[in-house]
Amino acid sequence: MTLLQAILCGLVSVYGVFDFALGTLYLNRPIFLSAITGLILGDFKTGIIIGATLELFFMGAVSVGAYIPPDVVVGGVVATALAIVNGYSTEIAITLAMPIALFSLAIGNLITITQPFFLKRADYYADKCDAKGVVRIQWTMGLINCARRFILTFLALYFGATAVEAFVNSIPDWVISGMSAAGGLMPAMGFAMLMRMILTKQILPYYFLGFVLAAYLAMPSLGVAILAVIIVMVKFDFLNPNRSETGEMVNSSTSGGGIDDDF
Amino acid sequence: MTTSNENKTNMLTKQDLNRAVFHGLGMEWGWTYERQMNLAYFNMVRHALEKIYKDQPEKLHEAMVRNCEFFNITPQLAPFVGGIALAMEEQNAKSDDFDTKSITAIKSALMGPLSGIGDSIFLSGIRIIALGVGIPLCLQGNFLGVVLYFLIYNIPAFWLRFAGIYKGYEIGTGYLDKLKSSGLIDKVMQAASIVGIMVIGAMSITMVYTSVTMQIGSGDTSASLQSVLDGILPGMIPLGVTWLYYWLLGKKKINILWLIIGTIVVGIAGAYFGILG
Repeated sequence: MTLLQAILCGLVSVYGVFDFALGTLYLNRPIFLSAITGLILGDFKTGIIIGATLELFFMGAVSVGAYIPPDVVVGGVVATALAIVNGYSTEIAITLAMPIALFSLAIGNLITITQPFFLKRADYYADKCDAKGVVRIQWTMGLINCARRFILTFLALYFGATAVEAFVNSIPDWVISGMSAAGGLMPAMGFAMLMRMILTKQILPYYFLGFVLAAYLAMPSLGVAILAVIIVMVKFDFLNPNRSETGEMVNSSTSGGGIDDDF
Repeated sequence: MTTSNENKTNMLTKQDLNRAVFHGLGMEWGWTYERQMNLAYFNMVRHALEKIYKDQPEKLHEAMVRNCEFFNITPQLAPFVGGIALAMEEQNAKSDDFDTKSITAIKSALMGPLSGIGDSIFLSGIRIIALGVGIPLCLQGNFLGVVLYFLIYNIPAFWLRFAGIYKGYEIGTGYLDKLKSSGLIDKVMQAASIVGIMVIGAMSITMVYTSVTMQIGSGDTSASLQSVLDGILPGMIPLGVTWLYYWLLGKKKINILWLIIGTIVVGIAGAYFGILG
């Protein structure tokens, strides 16, 4: 692969992150990135086909809630480039690209160490009423992520898959899998922050109600949300047309709702 | 200074709201574990805040700091929440006894339920439909598949952003005001936080995904510690980890940086000793 091609493929990976700045258009997925990679490497059609195949592979790996998937951007672009340049099958190409995707995820988790510094800086600007300063911080963090994708994609393609594999293999397994284990725990930190904001003693039981529904009945979060809406409608008597203007609940003992009082 | 008879006129025009949608596109740009989309949210509302508090530097300062707090939601639904919150900021600008805590409360109460609904609709619904249409064409090497995928996903996404911020602003100026004067707002806020906390309770089990791979016993009687723990209480690990963070962040006032470093150290040590995977 030529230097120019490796740089251009790196830029495709950069777009894979920059998509978030444009409004999460979901063009940060193999279906688009692989097609463009194919175009750069002179085989547009194969790129499109590989993109569709990879998309089916990675269907599950989207960011739902706070779950961060293995790096689909770097993994997808590198796999596509390897498949087109070396004529590998898509399956072999993705297997070869997997170490670099996992490595990228590990680096990404390592970069999270810098986040508190940036957030503190953003707070400082907000305190000075410098809105542009806060936005600069947002862009700096986004661009750091772009740089990580560019460097890894470029290195993987310019120095070749075997060199990358040898390098990644020289890192002990437990470092990489330990990093992704840590990444799996970190969403709990986000939930804890959110709970610090809204949790009170009065609503604590509902936290465990939601947890138990998901734990024992495997109820999806939308199902839990619907059930929660039903519970509060009954609890606060929102459907009672006799609800008084002051917000006091009209005692609905005549309508026989004795069981509801247990809330 | 504003007077009370101006309360009915809206300070933000449709153009201001469109501008907020535009600046709020990058919801997942600059995302952090600690406060997630807070900077993006700030970016979305900043021009509107500067307009709302044009003559009130002190309140602007408070609003700037307030709008840097934790935020997370399905990106396409952020403008809806922003619309409601901006309408409340506007009421804060117009009156001297507005409780700004209610802005935070409404925002954080809406995040959980709306994310649950939004992620289901966009990621599990529209995205899959878009892929279903696009992939068969792509497999034949036709770029039209990518174009259709892009349009099917993004047309509803952008429609919802604009419709959301108009509707949110409308609800915020009209409905919330009425609720507040009737004293019902406390109940609505409490109801919203109950829905929110229930969804958070449910999500803490599905979103935290590290597993304990350690085996107990040997030979035929060996079982993974994970399956033993799940036998006692499914999701015990995510629950325990979440509450450990909660405790460390609150009672112990541990800096988030140390929590992140600690988590990485625990993860690597756990993998080294074959406990975590």
